[in-house]
Amino acid sequence: MSKRFGGAHAAYLTLNGAIVAFLLLPIAIVLVFALNPTPYIAFPPVGVTLRWFVKFFSSPEFMNALWLSIYVAVIVVILSTVIGALCALAIARGNLPGFRLLTTVFLSPLMLPAILTGLALFQLFMLAGLGRPVWGLVVGHTLVAVPYVLRTTLAVLQNFDRRVEEAAAMLGASPSRVFFEVTLPLIRPGVIAGGIFAFIVSFDQLPISLFLVVPSGETLPVVLLNYIRFDLDGAIAAASMVSIVLALTAVLLLERIIGLRAYVRL
Amino acid sequence: MSIKRPRISPIAWGIAPAALLFVLFFILPFGVMALLSVLSGNPVSNPNVTFTWRHYNRLFDSDLYFDALVATMRIGAVTTVISLLIGYPLAHWMARMRSRLGHAALLMAVIAPLLTGIVVRTFAWMTLLSDRGVINTTLQWLGFAPLPLMYNEFGVIVGLVHIYVPFMVLTLVGVIGRIDRTLEEAASGLGAGRFRTFLEVTLPLSLPGILAGSLLVFALAISAYVTPVVLGGNNVLTLPMLIYQQVSASFNLGFAGALGVVLLAVSLALVFAYNAVLGRLTGERQIA
Repeated sequence: MSKRFGGAHAAYLTLNGAIVAFLLLPIAIVLVFALNPTPYIAFPPVGVTLRWFVKFFSSPEFMNALWLSIYVAVIVVILSTVIGALCALAIARGNLPGFRLLTTVFLSPLMLPAILTGLALFQLFMLAGLGRPVWGLVVGHTLVAVPYVLRTTLAVLQNFDRRVEEAAAMLGASPSRVFFEVTLPLIRPGVIAGGIFAFIVSFDQLPISLFLVVPSGETLPVVLLNYIRFDLDGAIAAASMVSIVLALTAVLLLERIIGLRAYVRL
Repeated sequence: MSIKRPRISPIAWGIAPAALLFVLFFILPFGVMALLSVLSGNPVSNPNVTFTWRHYNRLFDSDLYFDALVATMRIGAVTTVISLLIGYPLAHWMARMRSRLGHAALLMAVIAPLLTGIVVRTFAWMTLLSDRGVINTTLQWLGFAPLPLMYNEFGVIVGLVHIYVPFMVLTLVGVIGRIDRTLEEAASGLGAGRFRTFLEVTLPLSLPGILAGSLLVFALAISAYVTPVVLGGNNVLTLPMLIYQQVSASFNLGFAGALGVVLLAVSLALVFAYNAVLGRLTGERQIA
């Protein structure tokens, strides 16, 4: 089977190695700057220090933003898992007419520019005289988080054997008992994976937040964006590391819970 | 198919919260955006508003706005082409990887950047591309003159390619993985070299994936805000930047709405094309 041309195959592997490096190196380089003691971004690094992490974790501006981001993300996770899982069940088990179209509609916030969702929500709130409430931010994030939960839950629902539910019903379980004791435990991995995505999506959300945050209450990505436009020091690299560690944890969790393939199958 | 459709079950009510969320905070806001784009002012505070096309006409009044539109499309197109050139080999490698561990590792390498915040990734490129960044410091150390890598379209495109290559790879992997390998083996069995087999069998069969991935990346790239703002500085102006400026600096909701409708129309067209391409693809798979 593996009859290979040495040269061509080596070139193929080198090219792909370079592409993987292109994807990962910029992220790795952030760590170098997070640990480098010079007060500006300079290369090569001259030493190792934790002062930027200290600066990040002791700055009220960063910490307020971090807590607001976490606060919003937690509420978004709760809302989007409930709304998304119910929606997935309805689409997969409700025998609704036009369920394909419904799926496309509910996944559409992923495809349409988030900056437009932000603009449109902002215009609605302005017109209604609501200003920019925190719940508006939560609603905006939930809108883009629900599709992730919907997608991961639908993936699980389409994979599992419906006969398990039918067997339970046949053996005398009431519909609600079938739901709570068979269906719910089976879709749990999909819902949890969706919830992890929802957290990441909300925590990193920027284009929608941009329109919906108030100056005194900005989320972490908004604060970071304003910061890198005027200052470039290690604090931003330290903040980035915190966000990268969070993302990596999520990737590992997802791989353990559901396998990353569920994410790939769009 | 003459099978009678089963009755709608009570579980269908589960769709209600999502439907409510979408109608109130997705469909209604976009309706408001479209409405404001054709009104002369705020209909709530000002009772004398009239219908007008002037926000749309303004797009063509000044070269500034039209140039921004053209720059957005140009940046989107170049980003798409480069993402395809970079994403295809990686997707091919991933689809043909036999080791499960290797496949999982590659998948992680592709998804990890996807899950890293957009500001973080853009900052990472600043540290590489800026005047005192890694690349220019290294160039000077080697005795070369520093290059203008940032605060221009080049920097924006590099940053965008890095962000959107994973989307291209994830779309292509499925399509390449679905290609029947016996076709490739037949081609090489009939005497075609590896390169010719790729060019005449694998590449044509992955065209739907190439099309779908390109539509997706283009749609994402033209709506990017952070990367053009940070890596383009004052030298690049794109449609999303213009939209945000209209709201934050000029507070011109009507013009922002008109710009939004233009971007929305382009995005919707791209999304429909993307769904059509992928829909045909899954349809073929079901038949096979």
